[in-house]
Amino acid sequence: MKINIDGKDYQVLKGKKLVDAAKENGIYIPTLCHFREINPSLGTCRICTVNVNGKFTTSCTTQVQEGMTVEINTPELIDTRKAIVEMLFAEGNHFCPSCEKSGNCDLQNLAYDMGLTFSRFPHAFSNKYVDFNSTRMIMESNRCILCKRCVEEIKTHDDKNIFSFVNRGVNTRVHIDYEEENKLTEAEAIHAMNLCPVGAILIKGMIYKEPFGERKYDILGKSKQTALNESRTYKNEEEKFIVATTSLAGCFGCHMSLLDIDTDILEMLEVIEFNKSPLTDIKKFSKRCHIGLIEGGCANSENIEVLKEFRKRCDILVAFGECAIMGGIPAMRNFVPLKECLEEAYVHGLTSEIGANIIPNHEDIPKILNNVYPCNEVVKIDYFIPGCPPNANHIWKAVQNILLGKEIPVMHEEFKYD
Amino acid sequence: MSKKIIIDPVTRVEGHGKVTIHMDEQNRVKDSFFHIVEFRGFEKFIQGHPYWEAPVMVQRLCGICPVSHHLAAAKAIDQIVGLEPEDLSITTQKIRKLLHFGQIFQSHALHFFYLASPDLLFGYDAAPTERNVVEVSMRYPELAKKGILMRKFGQEIIKMIAGKRIHGISTTPGGVHKKVSAKERDYFLNGKDIPSVEAMIEWSKEILDFIKVYHSKNRNWLNEFASYPSGHLGLINKTTGNLELYDGYLRAIDSNGNKTLDDIDSNDYQNYFYEGVEKWSYLKFPYLKHLGREQGWNRVGPLARLNVCEGISTPLAAFERLEFLNASDGKTNNKTMYSHWARLIELLHCAEMMKELLEDDDLLSNDLLRRGERRSEGIGIIEAPRGTLIHHYQVDDKDRITRCNLIVSTTHNNEAMNRAVNWVANNVIDGQQKVTESMLNQVEVAIRAYDPCLSCATHALGDMPLEISIYDHLGNLSDVKRR
Repeated sequence: MKINIDGKDYQVLKGKKLVDAAKENGIYIPTLCHFREINPSLGTCRICTVNVNGKFTTSCTTQVQEGMTVEINTPELIDTRKAIVEMLFAEGNHFCPSCEKSGNCDLQNLAYDMGLTFSRFPHAFSNKYVDFNSTRMIMESNRCILCKRCVEEIKTHDDKNIFSFVNRGVNTRVHIDYEEENKLTEAEAIHAMNLCPVGAILIKGMIYKEPFGERKYDILGKSKQTALNESRTYKNEEEKFIVATTSLAGCFGCHMSLLDIDTDILEMLEVIEFNKSPLTDIKKFSKRCHIGLIEGGCANSENIEVLKEFRKRCDILVAFGECAIMGGIPAMRNFVPLKECLEEAYVHGLTSEIGANIIPNHEDIPKILNNVYPCNEVVKIDYFIPGCPPNANHIWKAVQNILLGKEIPVMHEEFKYD
Repeated sequence: MSKKIIIDPVTRVEGHGKVTIHMDEQNRVKDSFFHIVEFRGFEKFIQGHPYWEAPVMVQRLCGICPVSHHLAAAKAIDQIVGLEPEDLSITTQKIRKLLHFGQIFQSHALHFFYLASPDLLFGYDAAPTERNVVEVSMRYPELAKKGILMRKFGQEIIKMIAGKRIHGISTTPGGVHKKVSAKERDYFLNGKDIPSVEAMIEWSKEILDFIKVYHSKNRNWLNEFASYPSGHLGLINKTTGNLELYDGYLRAIDSNGNKTLDDIDSNDYQNYFYEGVEKWSYLKFPYLKHLGREQGWNRVGPLARLNVCEGISTPLAAFERLEFLNASDGKTNNKTMYSHWARLIELLHCAEMMKELLEDDDLLSNDLLRRGERRSEGIGIIEAPRGTLIHHYQVDDKDRITRCNLIVSTTHNNEAMNRAVNWVANNVIDGQQKVTESMLNQVEVAIRAYDPCLSCATHALGDMPLEISIYDHLGNLSDVKRR
C-alpha cells in the first residue's frame, strides 16, 4: 500500500507499524520505549510522535493505512520530539557524570542525536525511591522513565512477572518482586539491565565496566557530528574579542578543560583577551565583554549576584558544563533539606568536636540557597556547552563559532554529558 | 572611622575565597580573615548512593585534582570490599600510582606556570593587568610553552589510564577497569608525538634551577615573607620514612621538627583529628586532638611533606632536597614562600617516578582485579597535590553509603592560610595611610603559596554583600527573581 511521508509517496507493507515502515524506507523516527519483541507497542515514552492525517500521534502505536498522510521531519515535529526528551531530563534525576549506564544509555544517546544541550523546562528535582532490597539488583527510580519495557518483557521461566508498576500518577514507580527476581539466571538479569533504556536497573558489581571510548554509544556514535548554530559577534578592527569567565558552584574542572587545548591556547590569545576571570587578576569588569563563560550553577546568594552581573556585562552568555546547565552533582543536595546538609558537615561529622554546635553564618560569607539552580533558571543563557567537564575542543569550537561565525561541527567524542 | 578592606575574589587560585581585613581609626590592623564562601554538602547527599559511585561522584569536588579524590575514595572503597592497598594486584598498584604521579605532575605544573609564576617573574607590585599567564606567554614564550607541555604530559597520562583528562574513571572496587597497552605506554617514552618523560625530567630540573637563582637573589624576602611557626603533616613511606604520595603512615611534626603524630596507620586517623568550625567560613579547621585547637593545626602540601619526610626515593629529587635543606640549615622550614621550591622538587620526583613506572613491564599485565571479605567501613588517605586528603565511608549491608567524612587538603591549610593573611596584614598593611594594590596582592601572594584548591567555591563581586539580607537559610529563588 501507499502512504505519503513529508510530501513523498512510499510503498509499505500492510499491517506494519508506522515507525517500522518508515525505517524500512530509510526514514528514522527516534524511539525509546519501542522494542522489537514487545507487541503491541508500549507507546509510553511518546518520543516517536509524528503527525498522521493532521493529528499528533505516536508512530509505534499506529498501523499504516492506505493513503495515510504523515509528517515526520517538519521543524515543529523535530522540536516537539526534542521537547519530550527535555521533559524526561527535567522530570527525572539524570546525573550522567556519575551514572553507571552513561555511555550505554539509550536516553542519553537519543539526546546526543538530537543535539540536546539543555532543558527548556525547569528541573523538578523530585526525590525518588531507590530500592536496594533485592539481593542482586538496585531499582534506581530517579532514572526510570516508566517505559514499561522491563514490566512487559522480563518474566521468569514459569511466566511470572518480576517488575510491576506500583502506586499511581506522579508516584508511579517500578517495583521488583524480590523472590521472583532470585529465580532469574545471571544472563537474564543482565538482559534486564541492558533492556532498560536508562540506568534504572542496576546489577550490583556490574559497574563502570567499559572504559571511556569503549562503551556502546562511544563506538556506535563514532562518526556522528553535531552542527553548531552559526552566530557571529562583531568587534572593532584593532580590538581583540573580550572574554570573561567565572566559576559559580562548580569544581573548576570546566576552567581546567578550557586550558586543555594545550599550546593552541597561545593561538587563541592572538584573537581574544581575558577580562574578569579567575585566570587573571582583573577582579571587576573593566570593559564590556563579547562572551561570558559561566561554570557552575547557583548555590548561594553570591552566585546569583555574579551571574546577574555577567548577564549585564556580556553580550553572549555561555553556560558550560553540567552544573551550569542542570545544577550537576551539587544539585544532588536538592533532595535533602539544607539544614540536614549543614548539620552533617558541621555538627554531626565523624571528626566533629564533641558538643559542636556552630554552623557558619556571618555577614562576610554568602547565604546558601535552599536549592542549587541551573543558570538558565536565573538569567537568560544564550548558549550551552554540555559535559562534565565539556571537552576542550567543544568549548573552543563553540567560542569560535560564536565570535567568528565559523560553522564547525562537533565530533561525537567531543559532545558528552559525562 | 574604622574600616574594612575586602579582597574579593582572591584570584589565580583554584576556586574562590575572599579576604577581609579590619582596621581601626589609626589604620592599625585589628583582625583579618580568609573566608571560604561555598558549601556543598557532599557528606550528606552521598548517603543512600551505592558505595561504588563514591569515587566517580566525589571526584567532582575538584576539577584540578579529581584524580586524588578518585583514588582516595577508591582506597576507601577497596577496604569495603576487604582489601588493603598492598592486597591489590601489582599491576593495579602501579597503574594507580602512575595515575597519581601524572596528576600531581600536571597540578604542580599548572600551579607554578599558570598561577604563581606571574608573581615571581614580574614581582608582586607589577600592574594587575600584567600579572597573568597571558603576559607570561608573551614575555617568556619558551617558558610558557614548556609549562603548557608539562601540564599536557600529566594530563595525557591521566587520559591514558582514566579515559579522559578531567573526571575520568579508572578505579573499580578492588582494581582498575582498563589495562595499559604497550602502544599507549610508548607514546610517553618515544618522544615522537609529545616530548618524552626524559624531557619532563630535564625541564623539571630547569625550572628548579630557575627557582634556585630566584632564591639566591631574593633570599631575605623569601625567608621573611609570611614566615611563622606551625606544625606540618604528611604521609611518609612505611618502611623508609621517605616522601610518600600514595600510601603510607601519617606523620606530623611541630615547628622544631619534634614528632607530634608518630607514624600512625590511616585507619586510626579518627582518634587523632578534630575539626573546628568558625562562624565566618564554610571551611572547617582540622587539628590534632591531643594538642588542641591552638597548637594542633598543621600545614600540609609540598613544604610540609618535605619537612616530615626523611628522604626522597628518586636520585635527582633526593639531591635537590639536600640543597633545599641547606637553605634552612637542615631545620624544619616554616617559611611560606619556600612552598614553591618544595613543589618543584616534587615535580621532579613525579617525573622520575613516572619514568620508573612507565619503563616497568608490570604495568602492562592483565591482572587487574582482587576481592576480599566485605566490610562496612573504609578509609582512604592519600597525598593530593595540595596535601593530605582523607576519605572515610560507612556502608550498610545493602551496599548503601550511610556516613561519609571528607577532610580535603586545603582544609588542613585553613589555619595556615589565615595566619599568612594575618602576617601580611600586620607586617605590610598595618599603620599605612594608603593601602595600595600591591599591598593587597601580597596578601594573595601569601595565599597562593599554599596553592589552595577552593573549588568547592564560587566567585563574588567586589562590593558584595548587596542584598544578601533578603535571604536566610531557607530563602528561595522566587525572591531573587523578583528583585
